[in-house]
Amino acid sequence: MKTRLMVLAISLASFSGVAMGFDFGKLLEDRLNQELNKDKKTQPATTPPPAGSQSAAASPPATKQKVDAGQLGFALFGDYSPEEENRIGKQISGNLLGAVPLVRDDGLQRYVNLVGNWVALQAGRKNTTWHFGVLDTEDINAFAAPGGYIFLTKGLYRRLNNEAELAGVLGHEIAHVTQRHHLKVLKKSSLIGALGQAASSKAQGSDQMVQNLIGNGAEIMARGLDKDAEFEADRVGIVFAARAGYDVWGLPTVLQDMAALPAKDNRTSLLYKTHPHPADRLAALGEAVDGRLDGIQGKELANRFYKIR
Amino acid sequence: MKKFLIPVSAFLLCVSAASAWASPGTVLRNEQLFSQPTSGSRVEANVAKGASVNILSKQGGWLRVTAGRSTGWIRLLSVRAGAGGSGGSGVGDVFGAATTRSDPSRVVAVAGLRGLNDEDLKQAKFNAGELARLEAGTVTTSQAQSFAKQSGLASVNVPGLPEPRPAQPSSSWENN
Repeated sequence: MKTRLMVLAISLASFSGVAMGFDFGKLLEDRLNQELNKDKKTQPATTPPPAGSQSAAASPPATKQKVDAGQLGFALFGDYSPEEENRIGKQISGNLLGAVPLVRDDGLQRYVNLVGNWVALQAGRKNTTWHFGVLDTEDINAFAAPGGYIFLTKGLYRRLNNEAELAGVLGHEIAHVTQRHHLKVLKKSSLIGALGQAASSKAQGSDQMVQNLIGNGAEIMARGLDKDAEFEADRVGIVFAARAGYDVWGLPTVLQDMAALPAKDNRTSLLYKTHPHPADRLAALGEAVDGRLDGIQGKELANRFYKIR
Repeated sequence: MKKFLIPVSAFLLCVSAASAWASPGTVLRNEQLFSQPTSGSRVEANVAKGASVNILSKQGGWLRVTAGRSTGWIRLLSVRAGAGGSGGSGVGDVFGAATTRSDPSRVVAVAGLRGLNDEDLKQAKFNAGELARLEAGTVTTSQAQSFAKQSGLASVNVPGLPEPRPAQPSSSWENN
C-alpha cells in the first residue's frame, strides 16, 4: 500500500500540470484524505500552511489546495522556507538529543560553537542561527539537521588533533545544511511519514506535524544521504574551512585516520552505514582537489584545541 | 660526495622509521613521488593505483612515503591509510578486510563500547531539556569573529571546487 501511494505521489510531483497530472492529483488527494481522516484523533488542530510554502508548486492549483497543506503541502510542493527548515531541524535535533545527550562540559561546547560559527560565516548563508553540540557517546560520527543544527560525537572529537581538523569536520556538516541535503531526502520520502506512521511523541515541545514528516524519532539520521551528497559535502566543506583561514588538510587528515581504523569497530558501524568508506571519500576529494589548493597556507592551531576532560 | 650520502641517510631513515612509526597505506590513483612536498620538485618515481606504500611522515597536504625502492612525497589525498586496498566500496572492504587483518584483541577491546545504532535513533524521544541546553550555547557572529581574530584567523578568498564529471547518472527521484 505504502509503495503504491509513493508511486502515486511521485507521479503527481513529476507531472508539470498537464491534464494527466491533474487526474493523478485527484486520485492521490482522495487517498490522502482517507489516510489523514483515519488519524484525525491523534493529530493536533490543523495549523495554516506556512507562508510561501507552495510557491514553487508545479501542479494545478486546485489540487494542491485541496490536499491538507498543513500536513503535506510544504513537503511535497515547492521549497522549504527558512522557518520550516529550522522547525524540521529542531525536531530532528530534539530527538537525536533524546537518544544521546550533550557532553556536560560548557567549555567544550562553547569552543565548538565558536569554531563552528566562524566556519559557517564563510558559507554566507544569511538569517541562519547555527547550533553546534558535542554528543556524549564514544561512537565516531557527526550529524547535521536542516536549519543549522550540527553535532559531532565525543568519540570523533577525541580523535582530532587540532582546530583545523575540527573545522574540517564541521565544514562538512555545514555543507550538508547549505546544500539542503536532508531536505532533498525528506522530499523523496515525506509522504510515508506524513501518513501518520510516526509514533506519537507526547513530549513537551515536540512538533507532531514535523514528526510525521520525518518518521520515527531521529531515524532520518540513520538512513543517511546518497553518496554523492557526502562527496559534495567533503568538497564544499574543505573550502569553507580553508576560507576560514584553517589548514585545508584538516578534513582529509580525519578521513585518513578513519580509513586506518579497524572496520569492525562498533564505534564506526553507523558511520559506515550512512557514509561512503573514507578511502572512497579521499579518492573522490583527491580528484576534485588535485593541485587546486596547493598554494593555500592555513593554520592548524593545535595549541588552542580544547582538550576534552 | 653529497650525492652518495643522501641515499644512504634516506635509507637509514627509512629503516628506523619503518620500525618506529611507519604505517601502511595504499595509493588511490596513479601518482608521482616528488623529491619535496611540492609539485614543482623533481619526480622521483611513478606509483600506480593500488600500490602499497609505507607512510613515513606528513607535512601539510603531503605524505612522505616509501613505495618499493623509492621514497618521496605524495599528495595526502592520493593515499589511504591502512592496509585495506585502494577502494572502500563494497561490503568486502568494510567488513571482510577487517576480519582478515584485524588484531583480535583490539576488536574485543572495542566490542564493549556499543555505538549508536538505528534502533537507538528510531526509538529516540524528543528531549526538550537537552535542546534548550544546546540553544543556550549559541554564540553570536561577533563572538565568533573576535574568537577568530585572537589567533590570527582571517577570511581567505578560496574558489569552490569543481563538480566531478558524472561517472554514472545519479539517481533522481523519478526513477526511485
